Amino acid sequence: MKAAKDRHQKWTEQATAWFHGQGWIPFPFQVQTWEAFLDGKHGLLNAPTGSGKTYALWFPILLQYMKEHPGFRTKHRKGLKAVWITPLRALSQEIHQSAQRILQDLDIPFEVGIRTGDTSTAQRAKQRKAMPDLLITTPESLQLLLATKGYAKTFASCTAVVVDEWHELLGSKRGVQMELALSRLKSVCPQLRIWGISATIGNLEQARQVLLGPGSEALENSVMIRAHVPKRIVVKSLLPERMDTFPWRGHLGLHMLESIIPIIEASKTTLIFTNTRGQCEIWFQKLLERHPELAGEIAMHHGSIDKETRLWVEQAIRNESLKAVVCTSSLDLGVDFAPVETVIQIGGPKGVARFLQRAGRSGHRPGKESVIYFLPTHAIELVEAAALQQAVKLQAVEDRTPYLGSFDVLVQYLTTLAVSDGFHPETIYREVCQTFCYQALSQEQWEWLLNFLVLGSQSLQSYDEYRKVEVEADGLLKVTNRGVAMRHRFQIGTIVGDAQLTVKYQKGGYIGTIEEYFISKLKAGDVFTFAGRNLEFIRIRDMVALVRNSSQKAGKTPSWMGGRLTLSSEMSRILREELYSAAMPEEQQAEEIRALQPLFERQRLESIVPGPDQLLLETFKTREGHHHIFYPFEGRFVHEAMASLLSYRISLLTPITFSLAYNDYGFELLSDQPLDVRMVLDNDLFSPEYLLDDLQKSLNATEMARRKFRDIAVISGLVFSGYPNKGVKMKHLQSSSQLLFEVFRDYEPDNLLFQQAFTETFEHQLEEGRLRLALERIQGQEIVWKACTKPTPFSFPIITDRLREKLSSEKLADRIKRMTRILTGG
Amino acid sequence: MLHLENIAGETLEMHPWGGLFWRSRGMLLLSDLHLGKVTHFRKYGAAVPLKALKRNFSRLQQLQEVFRPETICFLGDLFHSHLNREWDFFESWAGACSARLELVVGNHDIIDPVRFEALGIRLHESWQTGPFELTHHPMESPGRFNIAGHLHPAVRLAGSGRQRLRLPVFYLREKQLILPAFGAFTGMHVVSPQPGERVFALTPEAVLPLETPNTADG
Repeated sequence: MKAAKDRHQKWTEQATAWFHGQGWIPFPFQVQTWEAFLDGKHGLLNAPTGSGKTYALWFPILLQYMKEHPGFRTKHRKGLKAVWITPLRALSQEIHQSAQRILQDLDIPFEVGIRTGDTSTAQRAKQRKAMPDLLITTPESLQLLLATKGYAKTFASCTAVVVDEWHELLGSKRGVQMELALSRLKSVCPQLRIWGISATIGNLEQARQVLLGPGSEALENSVMIRAHVPKRIVVKSLLPERMDTFPWRGHLGLHMLESIIPIIEASKTTLIFTNTRGQCEIWFQKLLERHPELAGEIAMHHGSIDKETRLWVEQAIRNESLKAVVCTSSLDLGVDFAPVETVIQIGGPKGVARFLQRAGRSGHRPGKESVIYFLPTHAIELVEAAALQQAVKLQAVEDRTPYLGSFDVLVQYLTTLAVSDGFHPETIYREVCQTFCYQALSQEQWEWLLNFLVLGSQSLQSYDEYRKVEVEADGLLKVTNRGVAMRHRFQIGTIVGDAQLTVKYQKGGYIGTIEEYFISKLKAGDVFTFAGRNLEFIRIRDMVALVRNSSQKAGKTPSWMGGRLTLSSEMSRILREELYSAAMPEEQQAEEIRALQPLFERQRLESIVPGPDQLLLETFKTREGHHHIFYPFEGRFVHEAMASLLSYRISLLTPITFSLAYNDYGFELLSDQPLDVRMVLDNDLFSPEYLLDDLQKSLNATEMARRKFRDIAVISGLVFSGYPNKGVKMKHLQSSSQLLFEVFRDYEPDNLLFQQAFTETFEHQLEEGRLRLALERIQGQEIVWKACTKPTPFSFPIITDRLREKLSSEKLADRIKRMTRILTGG
Repeated sequence: MLHLENIAGETLEMHPWGGLFWRSRGMLLLSDLHLGKVTHFRKYGAAVPLKALKRNFSRLQQLQEVFRPETICFLGDLFHSHLNREWDFFESWAGACSARLELVVGNHDIIDPVRFEALGIRLHESWQTGPFELTHHPMESPGRFNIAGHLHPAVRLAGSGRQRLRLPVFYLREKQLILPAFGAFTGMHVVSPQPGERVFALTPEAVLPLETPNTADG
């Protein structure tokens, strides 16, 4: 490093001088990144939000250019020099500003451009003709650039790609899109350096591997730089005053609303994080209702609110003109807010990394500690509060698991290349195999994918009219049909689930976007809360939901999906330990656990608070049916897999139908018949033997894979989602992914995209490895069966969960005979 | 297993695949086949399994063997969209079919009537025959009983233990019977039967009459 230092000193000095000019001193990680970049390295920079990471990478990109082009001030060469990828388009403004500042001060005649879904058509056309020198864009927009003719020439002059917030992309299919785009850029940009920026996650080394490609030259020639910005985080739990009136379930937390008022009053600006947009809406509404004096002093921020309002709120935070902002993960990333003094988290954040990131939003000034208040929404969440304290101390951050073998994204990518300039399969196969996601892609699978694109996964039939990608005389695979190309361009970037509708006033005036799923449940005249307003639904026209203001109290609040994350294995372990401490003397307990004593006493009336050697099973009957609840305390995903496995094994022994529910503490098998518990205990149904096989079969019996297939069908272009906001109807081409799933199941079960739905559930959701460990632990435990007369405090959050899975080994006709009623009203 | 139901003085037989047989007339009624849908999707680049289109024809064939109908009447939406090569399959099926073919035209049937007529198929906007008026869209038929399609009716069932099921049905109303969709790859629409109305669910083995609510709120 010493040699590098000397070699680059002449250049890094300019950056240091600029820092001094601002009255700052560069952090060691910034200097290290400058030097490594100038040394020709690729790398991953591990730095938190608000640490000056943008300056760590904009500088060396520019310094490198200055170094190689001595006459840069007078002789400006046109063309793209660097691309900055951000997962959220909301962040692009900030990145733009920081680049602009350096360019101005160093007097470099570069143009910085932004290209996202918000960029106007005119602007895009202009960019296509002449790219800006520095481009800030999203993974989807980058794919769209690869779908334009002559992209190779556009990118040839590019010397750097920076992937910001890489940890956000890593565990998602957008991350896979990025891997593929980089595999192509490595070939078309001879001078390319690839850099990622990531917050702290459990698998940082792997994150670097995924970014650069396992076994690649780039990985070989790369560095990992960690910013050790010291920060003290203090977690304070808000405890209910009286435990006996504190609810056993729920996720809103409104009964503790008053406890945050003094916190808001005592600090300059407070961010109040909620887990869903629905919860965000309700909290905002209730705060104003009960404290009208806060009107004008508080605001709301979430992903469905229109951009103008969001930008206004962000600006208001910076101006210190707001006391508090109720928000969702929309304020997790980017955007530095120095004035934020305090952060409140409502309900379990379901992730230590996320919790730390949110905590880090406060106390931005060096040396200041970050304070985060945790407000539990129901009793058992207090155990989570205690566990969070521990986890923060131990910095027990979770992994982001990258995807493997996502055929859907590959189909989309190959179509993209076919739409622009066409591709030669041998070239692309070589590139794709070097990515992390497709490192195990076999020649046979590759051939299948090509056949899928060209012949719609059939052998050649004279009557087949399938049309997508064509093979030209020289073996080039290309899309020649304009309709196919156009539909594909619209399809890129529809990786996120449900169709979005625009919400507008009938008289005009944009309010925001909302999931179709919610709107489809409304009838004309229904009143709902959205963007802090009470709105009456009128009707839907061309992907627009028309509404008017209503003075009525709202009946419904959109319940957005999300917030269904799981605890990491480490966090689950900590959570179990906190729970076991219920049996310890009071002075060894955390205050949250002490506060829970009244609840534990209720629990012990008919059941137990399990210790480390016990697996608790509770059974009881309610109007809903026979409940059987197991408490392994292993986190939601493991419970999902375990419930699926166990119910499958039981269904082999006796014809039965189950409704399954799970949370981070346990899982429920609900049935209309009582379960023979002796049978469960005697048949060793928790055995890790034949685990893989049984788990796979249980998947066929439940609907988990069916739900996964939905995204796969959209991404791979099997389902066309229409032209968003264009009002163009493509009714003839719309079909539900459900219907499609059934068609594949019945007629083409070996289709790789259909198969992917199962492997994805298996690898990404069920986490076989963790399940095996959990089952082995259970082998050493005693199963304690408590037959109760009514629901226990522990069971409450589980049995009231509505997101359920089902599994049945009964004949349809037998089930129908016992069904009691036909549901009316859709 | 068939389910027999006396409607407007006639015995009608419901088949688990969604076909309705009027034995005294030797007439098989089928609704919403949406032929050509698979090919239509494929033509636009969505690789729906080609085999799915064969189910429609193999089921047609099998029902003919079961009922030996003199007449087969399609209650509309026989074809999903514009002409495509699935028409060739239909043409050769129709050519070999010994039964007389009738089509009550539906909203999806945009293929030139001349083509149907060339195959000896009679076209109707609606067809009054015996006590019935056959239409595609369900409608009021003064003095007659309406048999129609279009809706792809299904019901949602609920039972103890939070059980839920969704099943395609024959939907019997006071003066109306609505057939489920016969075609593969067609989807369903959930209906809410009112007091006095009845539904008959399709299961793989049988058509099962279901209990319907006695009161309006179900």
